[in-house]
Amino acid sequence: MPKTKKEYLPMALGFWGIGIPLLASVFLFCRTPAQKIAVFLASLAFFLIGTLIYRAKQ
Amino acid sequence: MNLAAVDWVFLIWYFILSIGIGLYYSGKAGKSISEYFVSGRSLPWWLLGTSMVATTFSSDTPLAVTGIVIKDGISGNWFWWTFLFGGSLTVFFFAHLWRRAAVLTEVEFIDIRYSGRSAKFLRGFKALYLGIPASCITFGWVTLAMVKIIQTVFKTSGLEALGICILITIFYTTLSGLWGVVATDMLLFAIAMLGSIILSVVSVEKVGGIKAFLAAIQAISRQTGKDYLSVFPSFGQALPLAFFVALFVQWWAVYYPGAEPGGGGWVAQRMLAARNPKHAVSGTLWFNIAHYVIRPWPWILTALCAMIVFPELLGSDAASLEGAYPRMLGILPKGILGLMIASLFAAYMSTIESVLNLAGSYLLNDFYKPFINKNGSEKHYVLTGRLLVVLVAILGTGFSFILGSVRMGWALIMELSGGIGLVLLLRWYWWRINAWSEISALTASGLMAIYLKIAPGSFLVIGLSKIFKSLGFKVDPWAVNIILIVGFTTIVWIVVTLLTPPDSQAKLLSFYKKVKPGGFWGPVSAIHGRSYRLKIQPFLGWVFGVLVILFFLLGIGKVIFLRWGEGLLYLAGGTISAVILSKIINNVEWEVQ
Repeated sequence: MPKTKKEYLPMALGFWGIGIPLLASVFLFCRTPAQKIAVFLASLAFFLIGTLIYRAKQ
Repeated sequence: MNLAAVDWVFLIWYFILSIGIGLYYSGKAGKSISEYFVSGRSLPWWLLGTSMVATTFSSDTPLAVTGIVIKDGISGNWFWWTFLFGGSLTVFFFAHLWRRAAVLTEVEFIDIRYSGRSAKFLRGFKALYLGIPASCITFGWVTLAMVKIIQTVFKTSGLEALGICILITIFYTTLSGLWGVVATDMLLFAIAMLGSIILSVVSVEKVGGIKAFLAAIQAISRQTGKDYLSVFPSFGQALPLAFFVALFVQWWAVYYPGAEPGGGGWVAQRMLAARNPKHAVSGTLWFNIAHYVIRPWPWILTALCAMIVFPELLGSDAASLEGAYPRMLGILPKGILGLMIASLFAAYMSTIESVLNLAGSYLLNDFYKPFINKNGSEKHYVLTGRLLVVLVAILGTGFSFILGSVRMGWALIMELSGGIGLVLLLRWYWWRINAWSEISALTASGLMAIYLKIAPGSFLVIGLSKIFKSLGFKVDPWAVNIILIVGFTTIVWIVVTLLTPPDSQAKLLSFYKKVKPGGFWGPVSAIHGRSYRLKIQPFLGWVFGVLVILFFLLGIGKVIFLRWGEGLLYLAGGTISAVILSKIINNVEWEVQ
C-alpha cells in the first residue's frame, strides 16, 4: 500500500507524460477543428486524471 | 500504412512510460506472495475497477464489436450487453463476500468452503485447468488478434514489434506483480480509450460529419432492410431464441472471462486485492459502468463509418468484418497514427499482463504450494511465482503459433463450462453445496458439450428445436445447445449434491463465521448462534445498478445520434438512478452485513 503520495507519482507522471505530447499534437498534427478539439480535450483529461491520481487519498 | 518518424517517437515514448511504471513497483512485489498477487490487499476502488476494465478491453475487443455491428447493427451488441445483469449481481451480492473471504485466489476459495479429498482434488484440478490451458488459450487468442492488427498496419515486418511488445510485458509483469499490473492498467486503459475515441472522431469526419453519417447509414438500412441504428432488436414474426437465451440464461449460467457468475478470474483477484469490502463493491461497480457505458460507443461509431468507407464489407465473411477496424487506421493523420497504434498495444498488454499474473497465482498458490512444496519461504514462493509467470508466457506464445482457430478452441472451453454458473452463485448462499456439486457440474457440462459437438443433429437438439419452433421462436443452434447444457448440468449437480454428504461442520462453521453470508445457512447459523440475513439493499442495488448502466448506455447513444430529447431523458433517468444507488451503497454495512 502506498504510504506517501510519492507511491502514486509514477502513475500521475504517466498521465502527464501522455498529456504533453497530446497537447503538442493539437498544434503540430491535427488538421481540422474537430480533430483539434478532440485531441485538446483528451490532453486536458490526461492532465486532470494525472492530477487526481497524484492527489488521491492514500 | 507507413508510420512517420513522429509516430515512432510516440510509440517508443509509450513503451518507456509503461516499462517505467511497471518497474517502479517491482520492489514492493518482491516482499511476499500477498504483495505479488493481491497487492497486499490495499487497492482503492478506482484503481482496481479500472484495472478490471483494462483487462477486459483487449486488442480483439474492438475488432469483435466491429464485426457484430456490421453484421447485425447496434442491437447485435445485446449478445454481450446482457452480461450486465450478472455484473451488477456480482457487485451487490458477491464483491464484499470475496473480500471477506480474504483468500489469495478464486481457486483457494475451494479450500475454505469445502472439506475432504474431493475439495483437494477440485482445487488442484482447477488450478491446473485455469492456470495452463484456459490462460494459454486466452493469451493465444488476444495475441492472434494483435497479429492481425500488426499485419494490417506494418504489413509483414510488424511481427518483430509484437515480439518486442510480448517481451516487454513479460519483463515488467514478472518483476512487478499485481501492483505493476494495476498501475500500468490505469494508463493503458486511458490510452486505449483515447485511441478509440480519436479514431471514431476522425472516422465520422471522414464520412462528412455526423449528419452525413446518419443519412448514409439510414440509406444502407433502407437498402438492406436492416435497421443498423436501432438499439433494440426487431423481432419480426419469429422471436429470436438466441436473444432470449442471452437475456435470461447466459449471464448466470455461462463462465465467460470477465463476466463469471458471482465473479472469478481477474475480477475476483482484484476484489480480493481491495482495501476493504466497500472498496471491492465500489470498484466492481465502476468496472461495470466503464465496461458497458464508456467503452462501446467509439467502436460502434467507427464500425458504422467503416460500412460507409468500405461498402464492399456488407455481405463479407466474419474475418473481413473484424478486419474493418484496423483498416480504418489508414484514415488517421501522421502523429495521431502512432498514438492509435500505441492504444492497440495498450489494450493488448493490459490483458496479457493480467492473464500472466493470474495464471501464476493459480499455479503457485493452488498447486505448487499445497501439493509440491508446503514449507517454502516467502522469497522462494515469489521467485517460483515469477518463474511460473514466464512459463505460462512461453506456453501461451506457443499456443498462438499452433492454434489455427483459437476462437473455436475458446468457444469449446466456454461450452465445456457452460452450465456451472448456478453452482458458483449458490455456493456462497446455500450451505448444502459441496465440492461434489462443482465436480459434477463441471463433468456434466463438459460431457454434454462434447456430446453436442459430436452429435449436433441428435434427437435432443432436434426435439428441443421443434418445441421452440412450435412456440414461435426463430431457433439458433447455439441457444439450443446452451439450454441443453444448462438444463442437464443443473439436474445432475442437484441430484449429486443431495446424494453426497455435506461438508464437515467445522469447515462450514469457519466459512460462515469468516464470510458472513446470508441465504440458506439454517443448520450452520443455529450452531453459530448468530444468523446473517440477506437484506433488501443488495436487491435494490442490483436493480438500480442495471438501470444506471442501461440509462447511460442508451442515453449516450441517443445524444451521439442527435436525438436530444430521448437522450436527455435517458441521461436524467441514469442520474436519478445513480443518486439512489449511491445512497443504497452508503447505507449498507459492507464490513459486517
